[in-house]
Amino acid sequence: MTKQILIIDSDNEHAGALKTYIEHQLYDVTIATTFEEVRIQVDNNTWDIILANPFISDDIASYLLALKNGCPLVQILILAPKDKLDTAMDFFESNVIHYLEIPINSKALDLALVAARENISLNMKMASYTKSIADLHHAQDFLNQLFEAVPCYISVQDKNLRVTAANKKLKQHFGSQIGGFCYEIYKHRTSPCTECPVVETFRDGKSHSTEEVVTSKFGKQYNVLTQTAPLRNEKGEITQVIEMSTNITQIRQLQNHLISLGLMLGSMSHGVKGMLTALDGGIYQLETGLSHKDDERVSKAFGQITQMADKIKKMVLEILYYAKARELQYDEMDVAVLIQNAADTVRPMAEKYAVTFDVSISENLGKIEVDSKWMEAALVNFLENAVDACVFDRDKTDHCVQFAVGKRSEESIFLTISDNGVGMDTETKNKMFTLFFTSKGSQGTGLGLFIAHRVIRYHGGTVEVESEQGKGSKFSICLPFRKPDSAKNVEFPRTIR
Amino acid sequence: MKKKILVIDDDLNVRDYLVSLFKDNGYDVSIAGDVKEGLTVAKKNIPDLITLDIEMPGEWGPRFYRQLAQDPELKNIPVIVISGLSGHQYAVVKAVASLSKPFDREELLKIVNDTLN
Repeated sequence: MTKQILIIDSDNEHAGALKTYIEHQLYDVTIATTFEEVRIQVDNNTWDIILANPFISDDIASYLLALKNGCPLVQILILAPKDKLDTAMDFFESNVIHYLEIPINSKALDLALVAARENISLNMKMASYTKSIADLHHAQDFLNQLFEAVPCYISVQDKNLRVTAANKKLKQHFGSQIGGFCYEIYKHRTSPCTECPVVETFRDGKSHSTEEVVTSKFGKQYNVLTQTAPLRNEKGEITQVIEMSTNITQIRQLQNHLISLGLMLGSMSHGVKGMLTALDGGIYQLETGLSHKDDERVSKAFGQITQMADKIKKMVLEILYYAKARELQYDEMDVAVLIQNAADTVRPMAEKYAVTFDVSISENLGKIEVDSKWMEAALVNFLENAVDACVFDRDKTDHCVQFAVGKRSEESIFLTISDNGVGMDTETKNKMFTLFFTSKGSQGTGLGLFIAHRVIRYHGGTVEVESEQGKGSKFSICLPFRKPDSAKNVEFPRTIR
Repeated sequence: MKKKILVIDDDLNVRDYLVSLFKDNGYDVSIAGDVKEGLTVAKKNIPDLITLDIEMPGEWGPRFYRQLAQDPELKNIPVIVISGLSGHQYAVVKAVASLSKPFDREELLKIVNDTLN
C-alpha cells in the first residue's frame, strides 16, 4: 500500500523539489507550509511519514512531539540547516528516526525513507503480534473458565498417572495435590488400579470410559462415569491424557431404589397371594357356616377374616413406611408406657396360639426420647417374630416368649426378647435384618425385621441376636435414653444402599 | 370308603380352608405344615392325593416331590401344586395341576374330583 508522506517546510520551492523527488519513489506526498496547514492536514489525514522543518514556526516542534506521543506509529524525519541540527536533536532526541541536513543529500534521504518504511513494517508486525497475544490471553482465560466451571472432575495425567492439572471441583472434593498419583487422590490406593482407562488411552490413543467408585477427601463415596482422551504434542505423540469424571451417585442411588422397589413388589405379591387365599378361606368358612347354621364355624371364620385384615393392614403399613421417607419425630415418653403398649399389641396373638407371654419391666425406668410410633412398631415386630418362631415350632408342646426391660446404665436401657421357638441356623441369623429376606415362606414380606432393626439403629441403639436351631432365640436391644446427635436430621427410612 | 387327601401348606389359615373345603365335599383330610411332616404323615396314612405348597420354611415343595417320587409306596400319588410363587407351574413338572393362590374353589374341586374318580 502506498505510504502517505507530509512535507512540512515554509520554503515552497524546496518543498516542491522534495515532493517531486519522493513521488518518483511511489509515495503520496502532500506539502504544508504553515502551522495552520499542518494542523489541518494532521487532523484530516493519517500520515505514515512526516518530513518536517521544525523551525518554520515557534509552535511546530512541540506540536510534532505531541503528535508522536499520540500516534507512535508515525515516523518523523527532521530537516534542518546545519547550524540548527544540534538544537533539533536536543529537542526531539530519539522521538524521531532521522535528522537530515538542509540542503538534503538525496542518498541520505533515500536511506532515511527506507529506515522509516522498515520501522513502519516492524511496528505493524508488532501491533499484529500484540493483538494475537491479547487474543491468546482472552482464549486462555475462556478455556480456563470452562475448565474450572465444568461440573465434572477433570484431571490431566502424565504416563506415571501423576496429576499435572486439576479443575476446581476436583480440588474441592479430592484435595489440591497437583503432582499426586490419580489412584491416591481418587481411591486412596498405593498402587494403580488393575483396569485404568488412562493407561489404555496412553496405549492405543483412543478414548476409554469406565464406571468407578471413588472416595473424596471427606471419606464420602461417589459413583463416577470416567472418560479419557489423549493430549498430543506437535509430533502427534501422546504426552498426557485428560480424564473427565461425572458424578452419577444420585442416578445409581435411584437405580438401587428402583431395584429394591422391584424386589418389594415381588415379595409383596407373593405375600398378598397367600393372604388373599386365607381371606378366601375365611369367606368360605363364613358362607358354609351360615348356610349350615354352624356357629362355631362362623365364629372361627370371623376370627380368620379379622386376622387377615390385620395382616394386610400391617403389610400395607410396612410398605408405606418403607416407601415414604420422613424425619423421626422425637418425644419424651415413659419407658413403662412404651413397653406396655407394645406388649398389649402382641398379647392377643400370643394367647391365640397358646404361647405364654411374660413381660417384666423394672421400676422407675423414667422417660426416654423416641419416635413413639416407629419404636412401638419396631418392638411389636420383634415380639411378633418371637411368637411366630414358637408357632412354627412343632417339636415342643409348651412355648414361651419373655420380654424383659431394665436400666443398663445411666445412659441406656436394655430390652431382651427370648423365645423357645424354632431358632435359626447361622445363614438365617446372618441374613435376618436384610431387606426382603424372610424365613416365613409366603407369610413374610422380609420388611418387618429390616425396618425394626433400622428403627433401633437410627435411635442410636444396637441389636444383638443369639439363636440355636430347635432351641430358640434371644434378641438383646440396647437403647439410649436420649436421642443421638446424629439423629437430629435423619430421614427414615433412608435410601437403601 | 372316603378318599384321603393330604394338605401340605405352612399357612395355618390356608390349611384350615382346604380342610373345610375337602371335608365338605366328602373327603378325608390330613394335614402337614412342612415337607418333613408331610412325608411322615404320608407314610403313616397313605393318601390318594396331595395338595402341595411350594415355598415353606425349611425344605421347599419340589424337594418333597422328589422324595415322594423315590418312595415305592408313595410315588404314584397324584400331586396338585397350590402356590403364590411366580413360576410355580414349573416347580413340579409331573404335578396333575398347578394352581395359583388365591385359587378358584370350583376349579380345584373339579380337578380333585376328576383325579380321584
